[in-house]
Amino acid sequence: MITRRDFMVSGITATGVGIIVPPVFAKSVFAATIEDVHNDNVLVILQLGGGNDGLNTVIPYADPAYRQARPTIGIPADTVLPLDAQIGLNPVLPGIKKLYDAGEVAIVQGVGYPNPVYSHFEGLYIWEHADPSMQQTEGWVGKLLAGQLDSQGHPLTGCALGQASTPAELLAQNATVSVIDSIPSYVVQGGAGRRVAAPALYKKTPGIYGALFDGALGTAEYGIVALADAQSRYTPSVTYTPQSTVYGSKNSLATSLQLTAEMIVTQPSVKICHVVLGGFDTHQDEDARQNALLAYVDSAVSAFMQDIANHGMADRVVLMTWSEFGRRVVENGGKGTDHGAAAPIFVVGKPVKGGVFGEQPSLTKTVDSGNLQYNVDFRSIYQTLIRDWLRADPASVLGASFPELPIIETA
Amino acid sequence: MGSAHVKLSRREVLGIAAGGVAGAVGFRYMALRLAGASGDVASAAGAGGAWASPLGTSAGRAAHLLRRATFGYTAAELDAAASMPYPDLVDMLVNQQAQPLPQVADATNYETVVRAWYGHMATTAAQFPERMTLFWHGLLTSDYRKAARLPLVLQQNALYRSAGRSDFRTLVNAVTYDPLMIRYLDLEESTAVAPNENYSRELMELFTLGVGNYTETDVREGARAFSGIRTVLVDANGQRIQPPKLKGSTTAAYVQALQQLIAQGASFKGVLARGQHDGGFKTFLGHTGSLDPAQALDIILAQPACAPHIARTALIQFCTPAPSTSLIDSVATQFRKSDYDIKTLMRAIFTNEAFTAPDAYRSLVRGPAEYMVATMRALGSPNLAAMCVRSGAAMDQILYDMPTVAGWPSNQGWVSSGAWLARVNFAAGVIASQPSFPDPVDAVHTQLDGVVGPDTATVFNASRSDGDRWYALLASPEFQLK
Repeated sequence: MITRRDFMVSGITATGVGIIVPPVFAKSVFAATIEDVHNDNVLVILQLGGGNDGLNTVIPYADPAYRQARPTIGIPADTVLPLDAQIGLNPVLPGIKKLYDAGEVAIVQGVGYPNPVYSHFEGLYIWEHADPSMQQTEGWVGKLLAGQLDSQGHPLTGCALGQASTPAELLAQNATVSVIDSIPSYVVQGGAGRRVAAPALYKKTPGIYGALFDGALGTAEYGIVALADAQSRYTPSVTYTPQSTVYGSKNSLATSLQLTAEMIVTQPSVKICHVVLGGFDTHQDEDARQNALLAYVDSAVSAFMQDIANHGMADRVVLMTWSEFGRRVVENGGKGTDHGAAAPIFVVGKPVKGGVFGEQPSLTKTVDSGNLQYNVDFRSIYQTLIRDWLRADPASVLGASFPELPIIETA
Repeated sequence: MGSAHVKLSRREVLGIAAGGVAGAVGFRYMALRLAGASGDVASAAGAGGAWASPLGTSAGRAAHLLRRATFGYTAAELDAAASMPYPDLVDMLVNQQAQPLPQVADATNYETVVRAWYGHMATTAAQFPERMTLFWHGLLTSDYRKAARLPLVLQQNALYRSAGRSDFRTLVNAVTYDPLMIRYLDLEESTAVAPNENYSRELMELFTLGVGNYTETDVREGARAFSGIRTVLVDANGQRIQPPKLKGSTTAAYVQALQQLIAQGASFKGVLARGQHDGGFKTFLGHTGSLDPAQALDIILAQPACAPHIARTALIQFCTPAPSTSLIDSVATQFRKSDYDIKTLMRAIFTNEAFTAPDAYRSLVRGPAEYMVATMRALGSPNLAAMCVRSGAAMDQILYDMPTVAGWPSNQGWVSSGAWLARVNFAAGVIASQPSFPDPVDAVHTQLDGVVGPDTATVFNASRSDGDRWYALLASPEFQLK
């Protein structure tokens, strides 16, 4: 069972050492455009924490094996939002369907990797580090930030929003990450004296954590200045509907995505935004839980995409979802599903070339006694987004090359 | 207080005197030794410098141990601890008898329980058992939401507090039947026909063995062994009674009816419902048999990976952020030989030379709860529990609401731009709430061992009031470390 923001840094220190050190801000960090940022494109990463059940998200409704495997929690064929004669979306995803019909959603089927793991924490590690062998110690987005998008350490290029700790995929040596729960709370409280004293306490801290501490408060200090007038420059154009509690997930995705829109609209240097919704570890009562969570994703993502479009920035933003694994084909006795393997992911935005990519894995020819066989390596998605969307070099991040998917419109 | 008294001298701050420890009159120990040791703060690469360890002195070791084995201390408590030989101090701490949580007004409201727990952490004389209660909560995790409107958070909190008197075998058996755990990891509806894998997997992966020490088949077979565990309400004599019905009642009436039963001595209890339990043969971790939960746990505890897993987890919390294999093995061997005696485990950690080696000094980051409670204890002001409850989220620690079943981050995992702002802002809120303060210079010596970096010294010395000086101390990097 996993709750709230599933999959922040989980305290896994399998390798133990390696304290991640952010850079010192050597150059001007407030420049609206930065020489090594290649373009204005922004990637929003939406993590569905806990292992989202792909089979009840993109439903193979015409497959009798689906009905057989999911006698109580199966989505009835006559309720799905059909994409074709074989598959359809969960009926709680009308907003995603609308975007799909507009050609702005790529659904990639059967995403996974060889020899799947069934542990949350290993699965997370693999996706976060883009490494099924679990040897890499730096997050793939962190490497991308430090090496290419943000070698100057601009504090707002990589952001984790609506959260309190740095997601592991953004952690890397020399990657600067702003972790912002909300803009109003992202201040030094207690008056002018404290605004001077707090950063002054963290300039040359000795010891093994010195650079880490100083980097954290330094990042905050610069971010606070940059965000000072943000709220006067952004007004949401749509209604985001936060839900304080969705089946054990307290994370407010709608609020996080509204903050994401605010960051993108007001901060030209933003390149990567990470948001998360947890609660997808549906061992029990999946029918009610997953539907509520997906409905929440649908409304929050739809509002976000509309808001971005209304601010004239639809051409700048692509959102991708991921989850550490899909779930077992056959439901368990508690109206739930246990940990599984491959699953679909969504890539959403006006620059996206819509459609269904990859293939629905067989529900009967399974791996490891009842789990879906992947047919698209998750690193293919990363590679495509790094090269075709962020226009950066994937090889130095992924360490190898993977087949790309034609999911980004070419200009 | 005169300003001359308040200033930390350059000598105090930098520890220029060779050897650094015994010299300055009136100060227990001193100061920061920067790499290169020139004493020139402006030119030293601060981040490259190391803290000058005071762990060669008995007072330094006592303060170090208290920061890790307890939730902090007042000056008087440190003086008492420093007067004891170190092994005696360790024994005194690990032998402390836990004090129960004071009466909680509404046991069905987790925030009330957590507020009471923060208050207890700040005030109980039995500091070590309380710190261990938090340790077990971080390892054997849970989520208040699963308690619904039942007093299960309070019950689990009491179980973990009592664990220090026992051994890990007793604890993990009790946890398997703990009503909140039963709900948290979905044992409640796990049946012989359809066993739920959640508890079986997380028990082995996170609580006892670590990944790589079991197979997916073991997860499935373990789920069968743990099937059929159910929660019942029992009266003071252990006789099963019917809980009040929430359905068709008002919440207030339900809570009242429940509280009446609890007040009469009723409690929730996990039991093995034989009719729901899979009594068939299983092969689990190489052992074949009908295997009920206790037998499955015995098999887990007999695995060579179990003691090292617990030892490593405890070492990262209490000793060093990256324990070596030999350190883990040394502590694990003593733990295993004692048949998982928890006092033996902790004594082995606190008395290991790695614990008081110079590089152990300030090698761990205080978690948010530790930081907040240490603040209350340093100020001698235990009335900030409500502020602690409110402030934890932004630092990424809400008790009974962890990010994942793996618990909270540790050490460097706590550090982010937002979390560090939340820490300095907590200090600001605390200062604003206090009418008066203990002597801040004394506190630099008792709380920070007199070992402060140039930034903290500069801000402290520039402060114009005791409140500002305490802000510098509480918000400082030094106070975030242990």
